[in-house]
Amino acid sequence: MRYVLFGAIVVAAGTSLWAADAPHETAAEIDRLFQVAWEREQVTPADTADDAEYLRRLYLDLAGRIPAVSEVRDFLDDESKDKRSHAVELLLDSPSSVRHFTTALRNALIPQANSQPQFRALIPGFEAWLWQHISEGRPYDQIVHDIITTELNTNAGAALSSTTSPDAFFLVRELKPENLASGTARAFLGVRLDCAQCHDHPFDKWSQDQFWNMAAFYSGFSRPDDDDADNPAMMQDMTEKTDARTINIPGTENVVPAVYLTGLEPDWTDDSKTPRQMLADWVVDSENPYFAKMAVNRLWAQFFGRGIVDPVDDFSDGNPPSHPQVLDLLAQEFVSSGFDVNHVVRVITATNVYQLSGRQTHASQAEPSHFARAALRGLTPEQFFDSVAEAVGYYQPYRSDNPFVVDMNSPRARFLDLFRNNVESPLERETTILQALAMMNGDFIDNATSVDDSQTLRAIAEFPGMSDEQKLETLFLAALSRRPSANEQRRFGEYLSSGGAAKNSRAALSDIFWALLNSSEFLLNH
Amino acid sequence: MHRTINRRDFGKYTGLSLLGASASGWLSTIAAQAGQSDTKKHRKCILLWMSGGPSQMETFDPKEEHENGGPTKSIETSVPGIRISENLPQTAQVMDHLAVIRSMSTKEGDHSRATYFMHTGYLPQGPIRYPTVGSFLSKELLNKECDLPSFVSVNPFQAFSPAAYGPGFLGPAWSPLVVASQMTGPDADAQQVSFEVSNLKRSDRVSSAQSDARLQLLTSLEHDFLKQYPGGPGRSHVQSYQQAIRMMESGAVAAFNLDTEDEMLRDSYGRNPFGQGCLLARRLIETGVSFVEVNLSNADGAGGGAGWDTHQDNFEAVGSLCGVLDPSYATLIGDLKQRGLLDDTLVVWMGEFGRTPKINDNTGRDHWPKSWSTVLAGAGVKGGQAYGSTSDDGMEVKNAPMTVQNLMATVCQALNLDHEATNISNVGRPIPLSDHGSEPTRSLLS
Repeated sequence: MRYVLFGAIVVAAGTSLWAADAPHETAAEIDRLFQVAWEREQVTPADTADDAEYLRRLYLDLAGRIPAVSEVRDFLDDESKDKRSHAVELLLDSPSSVRHFTTALRNALIPQANSQPQFRALIPGFEAWLWQHISEGRPYDQIVHDIITTELNTNAGAALSSTTSPDAFFLVRELKPENLASGTARAFLGVRLDCAQCHDHPFDKWSQDQFWNMAAFYSGFSRPDDDDADNPAMMQDMTEKTDARTINIPGTENVVPAVYLTGLEPDWTDDSKTPRQMLADWVVDSENPYFAKMAVNRLWAQFFGRGIVDPVDDFSDGNPPSHPQVLDLLAQEFVSSGFDVNHVVRVITATNVYQLSGRQTHASQAEPSHFARAALRGLTPEQFFDSVAEAVGYYQPYRSDNPFVVDMNSPRARFLDLFRNNVESPLERETTILQALAMMNGDFIDNATSVDDSQTLRAIAEFPGMSDEQKLETLFLAALSRRPSANEQRRFGEYLSSGGAAKNSRAALSDIFWALLNSSEFLLNH
Repeated sequence: MHRTINRRDFGKYTGLSLLGASASGWLSTIAAQAGQSDTKKHRKCILLWMSGGPSQMETFDPKEEHENGGPTKSIETSVPGIRISENLPQTAQVMDHLAVIRSMSTKEGDHSRATYFMHTGYLPQGPIRYPTVGSFLSKELLNKECDLPSFVSVNPFQAFSPAAYGPGFLGPAWSPLVVASQMTGPDADAQQVSFEVSNLKRSDRVSSAQSDARLQLLTSLEHDFLKQYPGGPGRSHVQSYQQAIRMMESGAVAAFNLDTEDEMLRDSYGRNPFGQGCLLARRLIETGVSFVEVNLSNADGAGGGAGWDTHQDNFEAVGSLCGVLDPSYATLIGDLKQRGLLDDTLVVWMGEFGRTPKINDNTGRDHWPKSWSTVLAGAGVKGGQAYGSTSDDGMEVKNAPMTVQNLMATVCQALNLDHEATNISNVGRPIPLSDHGSEPTRSLLS
């Protein structure tokens, strides 16, 4: 805590009046800023979420899965006042949250590994590296610095996939300076330079020269010409010249030097530093106007389904933040905490804004950029499968301590493939017909909703002395992380006691579980 | 506006009588809707997509007189004066139905951007998510009586640009049903290409009465929840379930079963995923599907990869790909013609760009958007013509350059659609089917 205070003082002296230390104080200031914005926009925010709604969303956002039945029960029955922040602490300490942040960061840093099959093999090694760094509590700036400056193991060939390293960041970009420049700008700074590669950016301030100035930091890489073009992920015999500080713009006579995006020239007086080290120093510098903002914006989106700048990696004049002061405040907090992701998570989850219900009570809440209600949003494929697994009691043959084990035929791998989505924004996530069919009729859900094969259902059906009412409650807790409403208790209770369409209480349980698992409420975050 | 359920109706149905009621109840709702709809008979469209960028010089614009043409010879076609590559002998025989556009000229030489451009008619820029051509055309061409989704995509290779294959701002109702080919059969020697939509059959453990009851339970949950928690993903969820249930209940899925087709005809299409995919496309069109995209990416006819991206050994690679393309394409045109479907079905052949006229050091050709070919046939297209031309060395368009926007406008016109008709985009701006300023090319149309 002393460390945080120290950082805060530095920032306060420099740029800002606001540099709170305790998360709840910053959270209160964020809430005040939203209050002002809502009044200005004549927005009536939604009610505060009840405990069950809050807990489910918190688990999905922070742990990447819905809570287990026992976790919901414990939370609902807990009468202590600080149980919400207590739940946050519990989850921040859990392997689930390390895994969820690992997946989220991997998706953001090497998106190519999802879309291009030849890069898939790089996922385990990259995730193992991220996992290790995140679980050790390494600050975000160090992680990013380590990625940009990593010593590449490119000669590892086929063994690369089992090498714990951040090399995948380079390999999915085929070690091309131009790809690395746009990847670095987009992933860490939220700046889209891609268009400036070929011409001055039509809607933004970036010029083609500036693009290549960035690329020049990566200009030392060269690959032999006879490299296996079909399999760029397996690069052999790559070499790197660590004193290359200029680059030739292809198709022109122009040679441009390495210059930072802000126009600042690197100071090469310490020539023990490689261009990549110089770039990394600048990227993670607390004075960098983009780095911290981009990071907290992505975190914000993880909890709200939408960034304060949205799309999250598109900071530009034409795409201003919806709540600039909130973004600035969070960025300052992030810097002053020493780039501690958990600190920002504590702040965000402590806000009333985050704790709003998804239930819409006023038309003004419909516009997602107001953040006036919890938006209805799709799950990532990973959140989806891990939640299904939790609900149906499926034991995942996946060892969280050994992510190298990837079985492409496992139910998880097959569901991830089927539920992979082209849409970037979770608020626009779409269900496909094939997904609907897999949920309604596929083997996995069929087994999961059969009393003979499902862990969850059998436990409920055969638990001695459980009343229909208790059975129903357990099913709702397992799938929807809440108790049934009085109305549902009656409607579904009647179905259960009558034995339903099959006139058989076990079949009726199975029918109800099927309906719960196929519902929007189960398959979406809200 | 032609769509199964428009936004306003949707509000009515978030009560989801649709989703939950027993099959008969659900179908009657649709039938009632269909009854009120326009009965105009829409045209259909099949897109044959050549992923990777096919070489124009080894297909529809050979240059045997010039060194750039390499070893590729040209042959006569059924239309005097028009010669195409020797790689396409069967296609040459249906030239009277084809309009070859030899003057495509674009600036996008990157797979991702060019794939997006050719699939949407717009360059990727800003926040607007343009819909893929299959989505916006199937929306206009929708046949409400068809129980299958209006847009089916066979073996797509989406890796270059996932967004180029999605419904964009039109939303999930206009997503393609993606089907992958499978090899099935009793043993390795008797493998057959087949297409199956997975999980269409409900589990054997569940009776029909139980299935209806489940849908009713689900409906009540959806009704309560989505009323209070409105939003796009919820709408999408319900729409997809509606379409999925409609398919499950319908006999129309028989279109996916090729076993009932004549064996000789199946042979002529080619016993590979692309050939059988073209046959499937014809069957789907017959069933009422509005738009079918079939992808050809590699020499075994399957969907993966980008086989047309012939940076190396261009002549051999394009030769093998054409070995798959030629019988399938020619048979499709002939089969559609024979069944009287060609007059109302537009067949588009294209990839994301052409290949460099100059042969590189690896006997390959690189990306070339400056002067290349696409082909239209059927529907309102005037066949038997070569539109535009390139210089003797293939490096320049000599006359009548064709832009992607004008190609898109021409496609719309051939389908009897107004290319200036608009949809409202995700940023609230009306977006025409083909970009502002585009014009159909009249001489391509009959």
